Amino acid sequence: MRPETSSFLAPVRRALSNRALVRALVRRELTARYRGGALGFLWSLVNPLLLLLVYATVFRFVFAPRADVRPYALFLFGGVLVWNFVAASLNDAVETFRANGPLLRKTTVAPEVFPAASVGARLAHLILALPVLAAAIAYAAAKGSARPGPALLEFPLVLALLALTVFGGALAVSALSVHFGDVRDIVANLLTLAFFVTPVLYPAEAVPERFRRLLLANPFAPFFNGVHDTLFAFRPVSAADWAAMIAWTAVSLVVGGALFEKLRDSLAEEA
Amino acid sequence: MTGRPEPAISVRSVTKIYRRYGRRAHGTLKSAFLSRRGREAPDGVTALSDVSFDVASGETLGVVGSNGSGKSTLLKLLAGIVRPTRGSLAVSGKLAALLELGAGFHPEISGRENVEITGLLLGLTRRQIAERLPDIVRFAGVEEFLDAPVKTYSSGMAVRLGFAIAAHSDPDVLLVDEVLAVGDEAFSHRALEKFSEFERAGKTLVFVSHDLPLVAERCRRALWLDRGRLAADGPAAETVALYRERVAQEEGGRRLAQPGRGTRIGSGKAAIRSVRLLDAAGQPAARLRAGQPAALEMTLDAPKPLSDFVLGFRIATVSGAVVLATNTRLEGFEPGSLSGEACATLSFPSLDLAPGVYSLDAAVHAKDGAPYDERHDVLRFEVTSERAGSGVWAPERRWNFSGGIRWSG
Repeated sequence: MRPETSSFLAPVRRALSNRALVRALVRRELTARYRGGALGFLWSLVNPLLLLLVYATVFRFVFAPRADVRPYALFLFGGVLVWNFVAASLNDAVETFRANGPLLRKTTVAPEVFPAASVGARLAHLILALPVLAAAIAYAAAKGSARPGPALLEFPLVLALLALTVFGGALAVSALSVHFGDVRDIVANLLTLAFFVTPVLYPAEAVPERFRRLLLANPFAPFFNGVHDTLFAFRPVSAADWAAMIAWTAVSLVVGGALFEKLRDSLAEEA
Repeated sequence: MTGRPEPAISVRSVTKIYRRYGRRAHGTLKSAFLSRRGREAPDGVTALSDVSFDVASGETLGVVGSNGSGKSTLLKLLAGIVRPTRGSLAVSGKLAALLELGAGFHPEISGRENVEITGLLLGLTRRQIAERLPDIVRFAGVEEFLDAPVKTYSSGMAVRLGFAIAAHSDPDVLLVDEVLAVGDEAFSHRALEKFSEFERAGKTLVFVSHDLPLVAERCRRALWLDRGRLAADGPAAETVALYRERVAQEEGGRRLAQPGRGTRIGSGKAAIRSVRLLDAAGQPAARLRAGQPAALEMTLDAPKPLSDFVLGFRIATVSGAVVLATNTRLEGFEPGSLSGEACATLSFPSLDLAPGVYSLDAAVHAKDGAPYDERHDVLRFEVTSERAGSGVWAPERRWNFSGGIRWSG
C-alpha cells in the first residue's frame, strides 16, 4: 500500500526504497536499446566519439577556435556530453508516463520509479561515454595541450549534484506532462534555449560583464562551470559554484518533489 | 461479517468519480501549483457510489455485474492504483493484483528480464525472484523461450508467464480480474488449481468474472455491482441468481416490448403472428424455473390454404450453442392443410435446462426448407435454479455413494 505521506521528500524516499526496481528499469532501457545490434553497448561509445571527431575537425579547419579555451574540442566535448545527459533525461521524463502507461494503470508501482529510471538510464549512457572523454584528455595531455590535475576527482561530485537536480526537474515535468499536453513542447524549447544561455559552448568568463549576473538565475550555470573546471581547466570548483549547485539541487528537489506529490494521485487515471 | 476482528479488506462508503475525458484535474498550470489537494468531487462519471463491505481474511469473494458497473474500478481502488473520491478503504497484508496479465512486459527484452521487473513490481526481492524463477518458468511452460525477447512469445505464453509471476509472489490478498477468460482450457485449469491452493493456504481472494457458474461454484460470497452501486452482497449462488434475474428481466423486457427485433425472413405465404413462452400456470413468462413444466406457443396465419408446411422451434444459448432444434417433420407429422389462423404448442413436462439466458427461434417453412416465415431470436428467456451447475442440461439428479467415502458438510 502507498503510504499516506505528503512531504516533498516522499517521492525521493519512494524512489530510493524502490531502487532495485529503478535499477532493473534502467537495465531494461539499456538492453532494449542495444539488443539486436551487432555492436551492442559499443554504440554508446560511437556517438560521443563521432561528436569529438566532428568538433576537432570543424574547429580546426572551419571555425576559428576560441583563443581563451584551447583545445576547444576538448572543452566542447565535456560540456556537450554532460548537456546531452541533462536534455535527454528531461525529454525522456516527459514521455515516461505515456510510455509506461500499462504498468502505471495496471500495477501498484510507485510512479516515482519512472522519472528516476529516465534519469538513471541517461546517466548510465553518460558514464559509458566517459572512457572516450578520458582518452581525449589523455591524448591532449600527451600532446602537452592539457595538464590534468587532481581537480578531475571533483567531477563525480558535480555530476552527482547535477543528477539530483535533473531528477527534481524530471519529477516535475513527468507529472505535469500527464496533465498538460503542452509540457512536452515547452520543455523541448526551453532546453534548446537553455543550451545557449548556459556556459556549455563557452566559458562563463566569455559572457559580457553586464550580463554575467543573469547567470545566477540559470540553475545549470554553476554545474557547467563545475564541469569545465574539473574536466577542462583542471582547477578546483569555486566555493561560490559549490554553494550555487547545492542550493539549486535543494530547490529542484523541493519544488519537483512537492509538485509530483500533489499530482501523484491522478497519474494513474490520466496517463 | 462485522463481528470478525481484523478484516483483510475493509471498504467504507467508497465513491469514485472519474473526470470526463478531456477535462483535467487542473485546468491551468497555475491551479496545479496553487490549488488545494485535488480531492474535491469533480463533475464527472460516477464509477462507484457509496460502496461498503468487508472481506474476512481467508475469504474468497466473487464480484459480478455487467460491463461498466464498476468492477474494475473497485479492483483498482483495492490495489491502490486509483484513490477514492470519497470514503476510505484499507487492505491488510501483502497484495498482488492480476488486473492484466503481462501488463507492462517490455517486448524487446527477454522473458527472464521481464520476470525480474514484474517480480520487483509485485514486491519480491531479487533474491526471491531468482529462487522462484524455475517454478515460475515451469508453471508458465516457457522453459525454452526464457532468454528470447517477449515479442517472440505467443499471447498465450505472455499471459501464462504474467500469471505465473503473480501466483508465485506469495500475496496475502490476491485481486483477479477476468484472467481466466484469456487463456486456453489447460491454462484455466492450472489457474483454478492455483486459486484452490491459495484458498487452502488461507489467503484472501477477490475475483471479478463474467463466468457466473464459476463464481457460484468457487466463491462462498459474491457482490453484485449495478451501475456503481452495491446491488447485492451475500452467498454467491444467491447473488448470481439475483443478477441473472435482473439481466433476464432487462433482456426480456426489451424483447417483449419490441417483438420481432431479431431477423425475419420468408416468402410470407404463412406468417408467424406471435411466439410466447408459457410457464407452469400457462401464463406468458420471460423467466422460468428449471425442472418446472413449460411450453412454447406460436400463432400462425396463412392467407391462402397451404398443403406443404413444417413448423419448428429452436432453443440456443445466447452464445449460439443449439440446445434443442426440432420440427413437425422430424417428429413425423405429415402436413395436411393450413389455412387462416392456427396455433401450435410444444410443451415440456419438465424444462431441464441449466440456469442461464436462452434465445428462441420459430419458423414455418416448406418441406424442402424454403421459408414462409422464419424468426430468429424472437424472444429470450431466463432459466433459474437453486442448484448450481454449468452446461445446458440440468435434469433431476441424485448422487449415491457407498464404501469408504464420507462427506463432512
